[in-house]
Amino acid sequence: MTQDKVTLAMGAGGKQTAKLIEEVFAANFDSPLLTADDAAVLEPPRGRMAMSTDGFIVSPSFFPGGNIGKLSICGTVNDLACMGARPQYLTCGFVIEEGYPMEQLREIAASMAKTAAEAGVALVAGDTKVAGRGQVDGVFITTTGVGEIVEGAAPAGAAAKPGDAIIVTGDIGRHGCTILLARDSFGIEADVTSDCAPLWSSVEAMLKVTHDIHTIRDATRGGVGTVLYEIASQSGVGVELDASAVPVDPAVGGVCRMLGLEPLYLACEGRLVVIAPAEVAPALVEALRGCPHSKGAAIIGKVTNEKPGWVVLNTELGTQTLLPQPTGELLPRIC
Amino acid sequence: MCVGLSAKVVRIADGMAMVDASGAKREISVQLLDDVEPGDYVMVHAGIAIAKITDEDDHEADEVMEALLA
Amino acid sequence: MSENATKTAAQILASYDGPHLRIMEVCGTHTHENFRLGIRKLLPEQVDLISGPGCPVCVTPVGFIDEAIWLAEHDVTITTFGDLVRVPGTTKSLAAARAEGARVQVVYTPLDALAYAREHADEQVCFLSVGFETTVPAACLAAEQAHAEGIENFSLLVANKTMPQAYAALKGSADVFLYPGHVHAITGTKLCEDLVEQGVSGVLAGFTAKELLTAMAVALAKAQQGEPFFVNAYPRVVKPEGTPAAVALIERVMEPCDSEWRGLGNIPQSGLALRDTYADLDARKKFGMPKIVGKANPGCRCGDVLRGDITPRDCPLFGKVCTPLSPVGACMVSGEGACSAYYQYGGELR
Repeated sequence: MTQDKVTLAMGAGGKQTAKLIEEVFAANFDSPLLTADDAAVLEPPRGRMAMSTDGFIVSPSFFPGGNIGKLSICGTVNDLACMGARPQYLTCGFVIEEGYPMEQLREIAASMAKTAAEAGVALVAGDTKVAGRGQVDGVFITTTGVGEIVEGAAPAGAAAKPGDAIIVTGDIGRHGCTILLARDSFGIEADVTSDCAPLWSSVEAMLKVTHDIHTIRDATRGGVGTVLYEIASQSGVGVELDASAVPVDPAVGGVCRMLGLEPLYLACEGRLVVIAPAEVAPALVEALRGCPHSKGAAIIGKVTNEKPGWVVLNTELGTQTLLPQPTGELLPRIC
Repeated sequence: MCVGLSAKVVRIADGMAMVDASGAKREISVQLLDDVEPGDYVMVHAGIAIAKITDEDDHEADEVMEALLA
Repeated sequence: MSENATKTAAQILASYDGPHLRIMEVCGTHTHENFRLGIRKLLPEQVDLISGPGCPVCVTPVGFIDEAIWLAEHDVTITTFGDLVRVPGTTKSLAAARAEGARVQVVYTPLDALAYAREHADEQVCFLSVGFETTVPAACLAAEQAHAEGIENFSLLVANKTMPQAYAALKGSADVFLYPGHVHAITGTKLCEDLVEQGVSGVLAGFTAKELLTAMAVALAKAQQGEPFFVNAYPRVVKPEGTPAAVALIERVMEPCDSEWRGLGNIPQSGLALRDTYADLDARKKFGMPKIVGKANPGCRCGDVLRGDITPRDCPLFGKVCTPLSPVGACMVSGEGACSAYYQYGGELR
């Protein structure tokens, strides 16, 4: 029997569950570490390890440039990468709404497998639950990852120092903009795709240049602006940005102008904020530009000891102003 | 008050126009303006074109300053 | 702007040695952009920028939010600009009502609100019509279309306002008005010219860095000369005659009425209401809404801020119980509000 929709029976633990796992997950997640036993049995990482977990809900679950599956791998892989950790093992938990199309589920699993392979991480365990219609919105995924920290690397949010350069690994706000457009709430069309990408290769390239990288953060929800405010607060430093140096895709800029939004607060899913001594920054940018997902890397500002806790913008008029702090839900400003 | 967007008219039909602001496109009403043609720039507010404009502000600033100093 | 014009403008600002000058940013977007661009840093000590009443969210009385929530709680879908969602009413905001199950849709234009109504024939859909002359035509267009098409599940909750009476009410509270560029794109420049006769000076300003820099230079240079003046520094958008079709549209659909402005009180004939022809689109009539009078937090001094009588810092709630994350007054919740701007750019103000 082939079914084209997920049913409650598929989550009941019987034959149908086995079939769902077989058809969708086992077919895609082909790893000797992933077995039918109750837990994965693994070699521990050498040295120190990093561990992270993240839940993913995104509506719509498919969007230009990716889907929730790709997102769920990138999110956790990037969290590990930000600690200087090579992603090693990943587990995933699915909560699927009754009636969800099998075809889409297969596509999500295929994206996860592809992205995991690219990131060099093994999917070693998984769980599937089916919830009644309306209890979840389509599909929710939680991933947990373990990575091996490269010896000598110790990036941290509290380690930014005055004089450091601030790098962003590409143009900002594309994921947030893509989702906003995909929801079609505002009738706007633009050729924008999500920046969703696994970034270990970019971090690895930087660590080959130097281990002296003070902070790496992935700018997800809240965007680059929120991350910079977090770092400014954690490190007790000021952040000074050159407004004109922050890379923004023209179409993303157009959407933002249309809706009165600030690109610095739009979500990214494949962009890092990197803080490192000014003298190594150009070499880091060069290394980043040689990687597939950070070709647009640029230095956007510096860390200062003035105005600790604040993000200051150098404006096009040569004046300085503060970046307004984020206030939660992004609402278009019209009147 | 009144966030405005300058955008280029791409096409027009029945009082509605597709406008483009650096690649962000949206349909708006151009009913209130006469003689709008594709290629024109308009100031858009809350989904309607409120004025036909010239695209750039360089020339404008020069003129205003010249008049001021005259 | 050529290099030269920029330099000249900056020189004018730097070399101003005239009297103390209060320039009122009538328009909230000017407040917003002036902060964003750090314009204050370029102005001499004796020039103050004060925020005016041109933020629809700020001058709309608390009771309007209460009315919207009343509708939402009577199974009406609320469509609104994003600006209003977080504004506190007497007991809650629309965001809070939405969390409790109210249907609140954020729209880009009232025309989308009408489209939503067309697509959801089983819902009553109300658009919250706030804003000045710039925004009114879009609402009128939606009303006219709804009326023409006989759409029965669409209505408007109207609290639109017009600027001329506000200028009169504010006369004397500033030395120079920075006139709202997009309001006058609709209404033209005649009013500004007439105001010169009454001794009221002003510059009509655009919103880009160059336009604001130019407008400031014009304001200072003219003020130094001492005579009342008006200069249209936004000619690429604002024509002397404005946009006559928009003015005609407003007149067809709406008529003047007395209107309550937060901070300024009741200003006769400064508001707009739907004409009788469109009475079936008036949400207050359609749903038999009782008279709702909102109650603002008694400690909130948005009113004094809007009149330019105090700066936000002088309000006892400012930055303590009232912050952008948990705003008490409208001037804190609107991105264009003076309190929000002062708070957000706090360390940067003189």
